[in-house]
Amino acid sequence: MSELRLMKGNEAIAEAAIRCGADGYFGYPITPQSEVMETLMALKPWETTGMVVLQAESEVAAINMLYGGAGCGKRVMTSSSSPGISLMQEGISYLAGAELPCLVVNVVRGGPGLGTIQPSQSDYFQSVKGGGHGDYKLIVLAPSSVQEMADFVELAFDLAFKYRNPAMILADGMIGQMMEKVELKPQKKRWTNEEIEKMHPWATTGKKNSRERNIITSVELDSEKHEQANIRIQKKYKELQEKEVRYEAIDTEDAEYLLVAYGSSARISLAAKELLRKKGHKVGLLRPITLFPFPTKQIRELAEGLKGILSVEMSAGQMVEDVRLAVEGKIKVEHFGRMGGVVPTPEEVADALEQKLIGGQ
Amino acid sequence: MSDNKKLAFLEYKSDQNVRWCPGCGDHAILNSLQKTMAELKIPNDQIAVISGIGCSSRLPYYMSTYGFHTIHGRASAIASGVKLANPKLSVWQITGDGDALAIGGNHFIHVIRRNIDINIILFNNQIYGLTKGQYSPTSKRGFISKTSPFGTIEYPFRPGELTIGARGYFFARTIDKEIKLSVEVMKAASKHKGTSIVEVLQNCVIYNDNTHREITDKKFKDDRTIVLEHGKPMIFGKNRNKGLVLDGTRLKVVTIGEGGITENDILVHDAHCEDPTIHLKLADMEYPEFPVALGVIRDAEAPVYDQCFIEQMDKIKKESKIKSFRDLVTSGDVWEVK
Ligand SMILES: Cc1ncc(C[n+]2csc(CCOP(=O)(O)OP(=O)(O)O)c2C)c(N)n1
Ligand code: SF4
Ligand SMILES: [Mg+2]
Repeated sequence: MSELRLMKGNEAIAEAAIRCGADGYFGYPITPQSEVMETLMALKPWETTGMVVLQAESEVAAINMLYGGAGCGKRVMTSSSSPGISLMQEGISYLAGAELPCLVVNVVRGGPGLGTIQPSQSDYFQSVKGGGHGDYKLIVLAPSSVQEMADFVELAFDLAFKYRNPAMILADGMIGQMMEKVELKPQKKRWTNEEIEKMHPWATTGKKNSRERNIITSVELDSEKHEQANIRIQKKYKELQEKEVRYEAIDTEDAEYLLVAYGSSARISLAAKELLRKKGHKVGLLRPITLFPFPTKQIRELAEGLKGILSVEMSAGQMVEDVRLAVEGKIKVEHFGRMGGVVPTPEEVADALEQKLIGGQ
Repeated sequence: MSDNKKLAFLEYKSDQNVRWCPGCGDHAILNSLQKTMAELKIPNDQIAVISGIGCSSRLPYYMSTYGFHTIHGRASAIASGVKLANPKLSVWQITGDGDALAIGGNHFIHVIRRNIDINIILFNNQIYGLTKGQYSPTSKRGFISKTSPFGTIEYPFRPGELTIGARGYFFARTIDKEIKLSVEVMKAASKHKGTSIVEVLQNCVIYNDNTHREITDKKFKDDRTIVLEHGKPMIFGKNRNKGLVLDGTRLKVVTIGEGGITENDILVHDAHCEDPTIHLKLADMEYPEFPVALGVIRDAEAPVYDQCFIEQMDKIKKESKIKSFRDLVTSGDVWEVK
């Protein structure tokens, strides 16, 4: 049975992980998301579903434990915040190269460096452009409510396994720490080893006489062959772009101006849109839910009827580049954001849109 | 420098507000470090204090010396860089049990193995303080914390054992509030050439209060700890009638005056001995079987990386035929294009 609860975003991640039948969580404490592991430890899923929860000695260890678990065809995940995610980049690149599914949750805080423990969205580039070395991408989901924190865990696993690619939930300190009502899904069973063998013939489930050995690797020294591997991976990204774009469009039908924002910024921008509508401005909001694949086509189509777009992010302006690429210079695209853990107010966003787009014409 | 010896440590205090919790053991360790520097009379501008991330790692802000507040786990590597770039500096690394032994475990053993001349003060509160109370690699097996609500199922590192396992030549242990002892061991660490590890048993009043209490409390400290001094017999106890002897290959606690044991039977501490066998046994002693060893447990000589590095460079420079840029560009095959 599903269940209604009031909980923090970080706690919702933990609850949802157990309920969707995840096999393992490996992590290292860091603010503002230590509650994910703490909640899992308190819930003792190893006694109920058999899910393993382990505090690793570092994020490097954690991501490589994922590499091991994912190679066995298991649903494994980690969570961290910006500095810890930076440490995981090597492992993430190898997981992508070895075409292994897993879930990495980033509850972003302000950087660069140790930065601040306050919410931020300054890891957008790192998340959607690869982050580690090589030509790869992550499937990136951006929740803007505690409900979505819960729902995206299973969705991320499903996409990760469908495309055999690491998935990321890109949240921020605000969504991680705030409390909201959540509907939790009923408990699902973890996959049995027999099911894994059937569903994931690539997994290291023990060699049968009936098949070749499965070797998990991201290395191919023959460049011709390695190019083929790259082409195969790129094909997946193209397919993702065609089939898996998710977004929410609010009041875009008659809009002359568009706010584009994800995560916490989308909530603030929604309030800003209301303020602007009250003042008589025809403003809509587009909230990308998948940051990769990005709703490029959707923004491009919307842009036809628009006078300008304001991209709102808690960063110096990262997603704005993808918005600009989408509209191909046809209309004005501006950025508004605060940095270093400062959360903008709806008034600030509304003012920015008026000044940068409406007043500036 | 202040003339008043008692106030000389103030020269090493910065103008920053100290932001540790009231009652945290870190305050006393800071005080000991400032006193050590005052007693050694190291000029402020020749000291660099390098930390990672953790409550303990806030210490550089409170020193009027050079300071780096760096990356979680990486302080040993960064301190190595500082020492090699500027070997004249007196380099101190401030680190926590998580910082040094979990995420930074790799760098920690390698700085020791290289024997770079830096002094590492390891604040061991057996907890992650800054992130609000998760177990650490020094938490006792079975320890209950936010990430081990049913008790840990892993054995802790013993910092002394790890130091010696990494071929360390200096290991000392002290207690946060024992300022006199702390100053003594920090001075010894500073004088030691090579990597020095000082483990400080530190109390985190908020997330792991009293973790060391069964050995550090005034009421039973004398019976449950032994302060080792080089050249002195290993005697301890409130009545100074207990001692350590070797029984076969194992250490054993005996009572002087019982079973014919006299002071002459008690082991004499040789901190300078190159062979670490006894040092390891001493460092590993745990209450209640043994008293916990305090003071300088190991202080032996070995080649020091930064000195060897300089000597090697000097030698190569001296022996090399290349003395100038001109020598360098004409040292290989040379063509003249006409
Ligand atoms: C890469 C990275 N991971 C995690 C953290 C979060 N973090 C900061 S300090 C710390 C552990 C602190 O424990 P310890 O080193 O024992 O120092 P204490 O606070 O107890 O003095 C952790 C996990 C971080 N800052 N950077
Ligand atoms: S949390 Fe613990 S270690 Fe950190 S300052 Fe407070 S008492 Fe000290
Ligand atoms: Mg600690």
